[in-house]
Amino acid sequence: MSRTLTVAEMALREISRRRGVLILLALLPLAFYYSRRGEAYWQSVRFVSLGIGWTLSTAALFAGSAARAVEPRLRLSGYATHQLYLGRLAALWTVGLALIVPYFLLIRFDLDNVRHGPVALILLLTVAVAAPFGLALSALLPRELEGMLVLLTVVAMQMLLNPDKAVAHALPFWFTREIGVYAIEHDAGTDHVLRGLIHASITLTLFLTLVAVSSSLRLRRRPHISVA
Amino acid sequence: MRGVLDLCVLGALARGESYGYEIAQRLEAGGLGSIAGGTLYPALLRLERLGLVVTDWRAGEGGPARKYYRLSPEGTATLKAAAADWAVFVGNVNAMMEVP
Amino acid sequence: MTVDDWLAAFAAELRRRRVEPAGLVAEAAAHLRDSGRAPLQVFGPPTAYAVSLVDSLRGATTELRRPPSGEPRLAAVRIVKRYGRSTVLDGVDLSVHAGEVVAIIGANGSGKSTMLRICAGLLTPDSGHVRIRGTIGYCPQEGGTADFLTPDEHYVLIGAGRGEPREQARERGRTAAATLDWPRSSGSPVARHLSGGTRQKLNLVLAGLGDPDVLLLDEPYQGFDNGSYLDFWQQVWRWRDAGKAVVVVTHRLAELDRADAVLDLTPRSPR
Repeated sequence: MSRTLTVAEMALREISRRRGVLILLALLPLAFYYSRRGEAYWQSVRFVSLGIGWTLSTAALFAGSAARAVEPRLRLSGYATHQLYLGRLAALWTVGLALIVPYFLLIRFDLDNVRHGPVALILLLTVAVAAPFGLALSALLPRELEGMLVLLTVVAMQMLLNPDKAVAHALPFWFTREIGVYAIEHDAGTDHVLRGLIHASITLTLFLTLVAVSSSLRLRRRPHISVA
Repeated sequence: MRGVLDLCVLGALARGESYGYEIAQRLEAGGLGSIAGGTLYPALLRLERLGLVVTDWRAGEGGPARKYYRLSPEGTATLKAAAADWAVFVGNVNAMMEVP
Repeated sequence: MTVDDWLAAFAAELRRRRVEPAGLVAEAAAHLRDSGRAPLQVFGPPTAYAVSLVDSLRGATTELRRPPSGEPRLAAVRIVKRYGRSTVLDGVDLSVHAGEVVAIIGANGSGKSTMLRICAGLLTPDSGHVRIRGTIGYCPQEGGTADFLTPDEHYVLIGAGRGEPREQARERGRTAAATLDWPRSSGSPVARHLSGGTRQKLNLVLAGLGDPDVLLLDEPYQGFDNGSYLDFWQQVWRWRDAGKAVVVVTHRLAELDRADAVLDLTPRSPR
């Protein structure tokens, strides 16, 4: 447990020193929020959560790529693979949680006619999914550039695709729109929340599995070595 | 030459403990020619590292302290064995070189 | 060169090589007094003499050395590795005992780094196996350090893997770095702000943390100045004298006579 915490601590230190990433994390969702704040204010909730999802995934992508250089050495030093990716996830989730607090407060005091409970749920689930999403991309794609392009595409699709289309369901943050319906529309039913929760759980499980499997493969104990 | 020098230094010390400069003089007197300090002290350090000689520092009368070397039990044993081998070797070489 | 100048240069070179100069300088001074001759005649140049003394102290000579005994700490048998159609390693054997230094040489592309990564367990060969007795420390040619962490944080992170408490891990790391002539700078910069050579020293220190039994070093001296390069080999011999098995990939052949064995991966025939 303490090894995982050490990995998490060092990952947090690393992120806190990447000023560019921190500024993006802080301000980009704000830009997204205000882009809809005028006429279509109810879309602000969805856009801000997409913004948070995008920047946190990006932070996770870069954290995962940077970790690649050190992970073989950490394995040789005695870390188990799961301690490495769980520690990194814990750090990213911590950053995400710290990020959504001010944004939740912003929505709480800025938008009156939305249900704030579901808003909080949307933000929490976005953080939960975004971190493993970014890490999975860093594990599957060799360079950050490809990962960034995928993230761009995903965010663009989330905004442009009609959420009722079947293919939109395949997007990782579809649940933000779904739960958002319940948050914004007064006569919506709670089945939206349920559907959103199921989607988020599936997406979360999928990305966590991808991270676990790819890390375990990459850092596995090779069969040709016997250590006495 | 290095290996032979080491053994000759051991031999020089068999006659009693001594310090650097005096060991060089003993070797020269023994017919080995003048051994430069640059060659002698590395040999002495080697022998000390291998445990064949032991050393201690003695304050000189009115002069600076000197490092004295003497044979350790292992050093004496090594010298005896090497001397025996050398005698056999020399005997064989002499026999080879005799003009029939 | 006056006697005092010679002795001063001699002492400086000894200190440079982390040897306490007092006794050796006193002995040389006494000898010069007794013989009455010029130091250059008696001992030669002060730096060369210091080197030969340090060699004798550290046991880099090949005579009178005990041959390696017992089971090897690293035994690689018939390693084969192919990339596409070219065979990079064609049935290579390597065995290294405790207290031995083996140098791996060969032209660029001859598979030196590949061999080391296979021995470290980071790459799977197409056939062959590797037996290791003990723990492994690996120093890649580049990478291996985190851009945004300070050296101290590296020590804590690596040390935690071996279960070392923080303060101890920091102490060990700093001590090891000092033997590599770590530049004294104010504050603790993150790794990406270190110069290339200093960052590689960190890499080397991290490889040795936790006292591994086998050290696999892939030309880790990139960016080292001459003095640091010498410090690097001093560290390699210190590790050897401490009973570790050390493998060094190198293309600088001047050091080969310091290694106990050499593995030459240059292909004998064109592939």
